[in-house]
Amino acid sequence: MTLKIKSRVRCSDRDVGEVTRVIIDAIGKSISHVVIQLDDSERVVPLDGDTVITEGLVQFGFPSSKMGQYPLLDRGNYQQVKEVEIAGLERHLEVFPGEVLVPVPTLERDITRRTFFTNFTNAIGVVLALPLVYPVLRFLTFPMYQGFDNRWIRIGNIGKITEADKPKLVKFQKTVKEGYLEREFQKSHWVVKISDALREEIYHGKSIEYKDSNGKVYWVNKPDNDVVVFSGKCPHLGCAYKWKENHKRFGRVFWCPCHLSIYDSGGKVLDGPAPRRLDVLPMRIAGTGEIEIIDAEFKAGKDNMIRII
Amino acid sequence: MSLINIIHNWIDERIDLKTLQAKMLNEPMPGGSSYAYAFGSALLFIFIMQATTGIFLMFYYAPTADHAWQSTQYILKELDYGWFILSFHFWGASAMVVMLVSHMLQVFIWGAYKKPREMVWLAGIVLFLIVMGFGFTGYLLPWDQRAFWGTTVGVEIMDKAPIVGDFLARFLRGGPTAGAQTLSRFFVIHVMILPAALVIMFSLHLFFFRKAGPAGPFKATAKELETKMEFFFPRQVFKDIVVMAGVFVVIAGLSVLSPVELLDEASPEPTDYNPEPEWYFLFLFQLLRLPMFSGQLGEFLGAIALPGLFIVLLMALPFINRNPERHPLKRPFAMSAVVLLMVSIVVLTWLAIASRSE
Repeated sequence: MTLKIKSRVRCSDRDVGEVTRVIIDAIGKSISHVVIQLDDSERVVPLDGDTVITEGLVQFGFPSSKMGQYPLLDRGNYQQVKEVEIAGLERHLEVFPGEVLVPVPTLERDITRRTFFTNFTNAIGVVLALPLVYPVLRFLTFPMYQGFDNRWIRIGNIGKITEADKPKLVKFQKTVKEGYLEREFQKSHWVVKISDALREEIYHGKSIEYKDSNGKVYWVNKPDNDVVVFSGKCPHLGCAYKWKENHKRFGRVFWCPCHLSIYDSGGKVLDGPAPRRLDVLPMRIAGTGEIEIIDAEFKAGKDNMIRII
Repeated sequence: MSLINIIHNWIDERIDLKTLQAKMLNEPMPGGSSYAYAFGSALLFIFIMQATTGIFLMFYYAPTADHAWQSTQYILKELDYGWFILSFHFWGASAMVVMLVSHMLQVFIWGAYKKPREMVWLAGIVLFLIVMGFGFTGYLLPWDQRAFWGTTVGVEIMDKAPIVGDFLARFLRGGPTAGAQTLSRFFVIHVMILPAALVIMFSLHLFFFRKAGPAGPFKATAKELETKMEFFFPRQVFKDIVVMAGVFVVIAGLSVLSPVELLDEASPEPTDYNPEPEWYFLFLFQLLRLPMFSGQLGEFLGAIALPGLFIVLLMALPFINRNPERHPLKRPFAMSAVVLLMVSIVVLTWLAIASRSE
């Protein structure tokens, strides 16, 4: 039976007054006390196991003479329940305000009508949004995929590379147009004059074919070149690797400072997480001895060379 | 009656402001207030400071590849107190991560993610991811070598996700490699998308929290919970503010003692710079160096599968771990798991730092 405000309050001997307020325990989320309007005062009385609550009546087990031992209500010690955020109170407490009803507007009582309006609202949303999906997608993805740049770029003269198996970092300027912005920046690759042993390691006596995304061969590196150009990008995760003359374990090696992949001067993986050997770039030697490359980039972290630029 | 009172009453009459204020502050906390509960408020405080300093920085920062570095240099070297605002934003980011991890550990140790607080925890995990996103995108904006290489490697890692990886990485970069378009995209993500996402998720987090109510101490009798009960205001608010003030002093102190250093302008040619992520990502960085994560498959496992699994596990935590017991000493498995995790992170981070000189 739920407790109601205005319930009569009866002690073991007689009626003493009525319930004017209830007090909630914020942690237990239940009614802990009732405030009772007596003839001359309002007192706060705890609900205990002996209290019987029935319809319109709160029955205490003690006599009315004991009522005086309960404290008078000091309103300043309490907050109104609407001013306190007690989580889940509505679900715990069934006392008040009870069920207070508001009629649904007559026009909306027809269920099919409500459903119709709901569906219609959604339909309008879909009709508006659907034609926008493709243009927005195109707008956002526009710069993501672009054709490959097969320009030949001069990076230096072969005459400067004299010592075999000693990699040389070759820097060059490259102009790139990104959207509206044209920028020139420096890039670098490694050029190695190759001994016959390295030539065999890199070419295995065969040419290296470079294919575009359609599978068409756009360049062939012949094994008879004296130098090889390694892309400066580590095939593990795209950092720039370096040449070390005195690595603790491996001696003269390419070494990537990021995740510590190690390659020999022919690009073979000696240690570390790299999934493939260093990328050999498409190259040719111009008549004057200038080394020219196609500045291709390949996706890092893959077993095979997948061109991305 | 003072003018402020008159205005207050005028507004109250129209929108019931006083009840709203009372309700915000009168949140019963079982077992009373505690400094252990201050991490969430401290996080909110740091976010507000980040938003404020971030807006200040945008007065001068130019998010284009041809001016980002120059404008950062201008903020740092020429502008009055520019170094302080930028350094505060920089150290604030680290403080955010530290506080976030502390907050999550506190919730974990207290068992406060358990029923009925699963939704609070889930919203919190999303917030965790948003904060990581803030750190990652903000790292690029100064457009120095550190920024460029951190992003190059970071996005390359995303590329390793199956099926969507290539699209996702290109979408973030606005192209096949990091460049001018990447900066534009990271900028808009950092200053528009993530702040909006954070505000929405934070509102949900707080809403769910208020609906579920605070968990309170992990060991206390029902009687203690009740007798020691306090409202959020004033003592918890006071403790929160003490912690906020401490956080402020630490961030400001670090900004003064160790202001941001801008390296050379971003370039695909790193010269003598050795790329490295921000310190709180160092353990992941070190993880990818381990031999077990080598090769194409290994890289996928280390860079995508393992961190992905970790996030899924975090999200699933309140559903897997359904035992209502909240006392940490009575949850030996959960506690050893979290200790092991933290020790691994510390060890990996230490290894990454130790191998710098190699």
